[in-house]
Amino acid sequence: MEDLKIGVFICNCGTNIAKVVDCDAIVDSVERLPYVTVARTYKYMCSDPGQDMIQADIEEHGLDRVVVAACSPRMHEPTFRKTLQKAGLNPYFLEMANIREQCSWVHDDPVAATEKAAALTAAAVLRVAHHEALERRSVDMCPNTLIMGGGIAGMSAALDLADAGNRVYLAERSDHLGGNVARADLTAPYLDSARDMLTERVTRVVEHPNIDVLLESQVRKVDGFVGNFQTTIRGKADDGAPTDSVYDVGSIIVCTGYKEFDASRITHYGYGKLPNVVTSFELEKMLRAGRVTTKEGRVPQYVAIIHCVGSRNLEFHAYCSRVCCMTALKYAHEVKSAVPGAYVSDIYIDMHAFGKGMEDFYRRSSEIKTLFLMYEKNDYPVIRKADATDDCDMLIEVNETLSGETIEMPADLVVLMVGMEAREDSEEVAHLVNISRDKDGWFIESHPKLDPVATTTDGVYIAGACQAPKDIPDSVAQARAAAARILARTARGKIEIDAVFAEVDEEKCSGCRMCNELCPYVAIEFDPEKRRSHVISALCKACGACVAACPSGAITARHFTDKQIFSEIEGVLA
Amino acid sequence: MTFEPKIVGFLCNWCSYTGADLAGTSRIHYAPNVRIIRVMCSARIDPTFVLKALHDGADGVLICGCHPGDCHYSEGNYKMMRRYPLLKSLLADYGIEDERVRLEWVSASEGQRFADIVNDMTERVRALGPSPVKAALEADLAER
Repeated sequence: MEDLKIGVFICNCGTNIAKVVDCDAIVDSVERLPYVTVARTYKYMCSDPGQDMIQADIEEHGLDRVVVAACSPRMHEPTFRKTLQKAGLNPYFLEMANIREQCSWVHDDPVAATEKAAALTAAAVLRVAHHEALERRSVDMCPNTLIMGGGIAGMSAALDLADAGNRVYLAERSDHLGGNVARADLTAPYLDSARDMLTERVTRVVEHPNIDVLLESQVRKVDGFVGNFQTTIRGKADDGAPTDSVYDVGSIIVCTGYKEFDASRITHYGYGKLPNVVTSFELEKMLRAGRVTTKEGRVPQYVAIIHCVGSRNLEFHAYCSRVCCMTALKYAHEVKSAVPGAYVSDIYIDMHAFGKGMEDFYRRSSEIKTLFLMYEKNDYPVIRKADATDDCDMLIEVNETLSGETIEMPADLVVLMVGMEAREDSEEVAHLVNISRDKDGWFIESHPKLDPVATTTDGVYIAGACQAPKDIPDSVAQARAAAARILARTARGKIEIDAVFAEVDEEKCSGCRMCNELCPYVAIEFDPEKRRSHVISALCKACGACVAACPSGAITARHFTDKQIFSEIEGVLA
Repeated sequence: MTFEPKIVGFLCNWCSYTGADLAGTSRIHYAPNVRIIRVMCSARIDPTFVLKALHDGADGVLICGCHPGDCHYSEGNYKMMRRYPLLKSLLADYGIEDERVRLEWVSASEGQRFADIVNDMTERVRALGPSPVKAALEADLAER
């Protein structure tokens, strides 16, 4: 290692890092470390001029290792690896020090933050000296895609992929396509029919020669890796018996949607006890049938709509379910058209009219004499049975915020705008395809802003309301984005996979086979002739469990070697 | 001057490191005493990493992995979980206080939990004072 030349590039990230961490002080401290040839700061290292600077320094100083102290490697490691590659260096000769997410954004004392940032940068410098040149592996990319869930998102992604000539397996648990959209009548804000929209999608999907629709089917098992998954799907044979089939796919899109909040959990509203307190989906059913009535078959004179049922409430779900406000406004139009002369009141917390056309829709809804009553979060309106002398079935007591008064609203039909929540099987699905869920059970995207479609598992994408509450346009956009991501890869036919995997040194291997049992991917094979184990690199996912467990120290985790980690420990403690 | 403990954190890439990043993007402030080293999975954490950190002057070692059942590699965290009691009994034999080495589960969505763990551990290790390992090593060297 005598001739190593390390360049250290410290990013200010505008003021994100520099306002807490003294980046120039890090330059001074790393310049004293062995092999450091050049150390610099820059405003935005990830910008084109920033990357050009790194590239120029590599060329000018003949750098053979690079440290970038900036944001999380989860953010820009691929960016800077490409920079190295452009300058003719092996991309694995890069190490990043996370001095933003894990330093400047979480500490306020500049002295302590700078000291920590310097330690993290020093660790990266010591580590990178032990980096080895690794070659990424190129494997075939299977052009087929498995889509889990046949709702509006799943079908939209399926059509784009299939139109491009790729095979799609569309697996749906229920016996029909359409998902939750199939339960809606009209849609906000243009009052166009959900049924018409779905009919177009369903017909095209069913008739498409490249789409295999698998109804009443469940994905049971997913093996393999990006470009080369083997998925086992349990469906029904012609005689109705369950039967498992294996499908080879290169990509998976999870579009499993949401379920509605169970309104009976909020006891205040008497759902399940008061017959004329219904959920938004129950009203949709009446609207689709073209007959809005009470349980007793009477035409309701007063219809009250309560917003945020299960949403924006600390007891149940703190998040906003996004679609309910505009759906509630849609009901005002639909109820008034189904029951001319009906009085409609909207009992809401805040009116969320985000998105295209929605603010106009809100205005139009006020113009048709809908009464808006605002209530405070967590101060539930109270519903009670009306007296015999009243001209209505129920009375709703609302502590109305804008007037500051307690108002009693008559109602014959109360509609609860039930929010969206993660499906009960979201945990099972997450395990199946190896993705994470947030605290509310929604699947987590790779990056909330820049990569809202991919997940932490390469080759697995998410779209629609399984990621978070979403309306139809956003679900379709995300689904088609996922399809585009997959097409960009299938078009190339090959896929590059990480060069990081485990290797067995046959000289050191004692043939104890302990690692064979430990490997979750059955990636370690035992050669009975040689009495040695070896790793099938394409199957290895680089967890390193075998490396830490090998009693002979015969297994090396590429890019996470003992030497690299030991030097990192020395660096953070120096 | 108050004693500022140095703690080395070994975090798995998929859950805990991501959770620590989330604490950052959520601007949740916590004590600056933990220096994080990323590994792909908690199962990669060889007990010698912990010993090496203590040897090199760490006052504490924090190990974080995915919650049981949530491991990106299905069951790597169970391997860590089984290794941990052995490591702890070894450390106890050496007279290293229990609270200096800690195993915690932090998911990708638990930025707040990560911050709370770091703060709590920092306070506990601060209360213990500097690690006896480094002083013992120095005394040992001096004798020779």
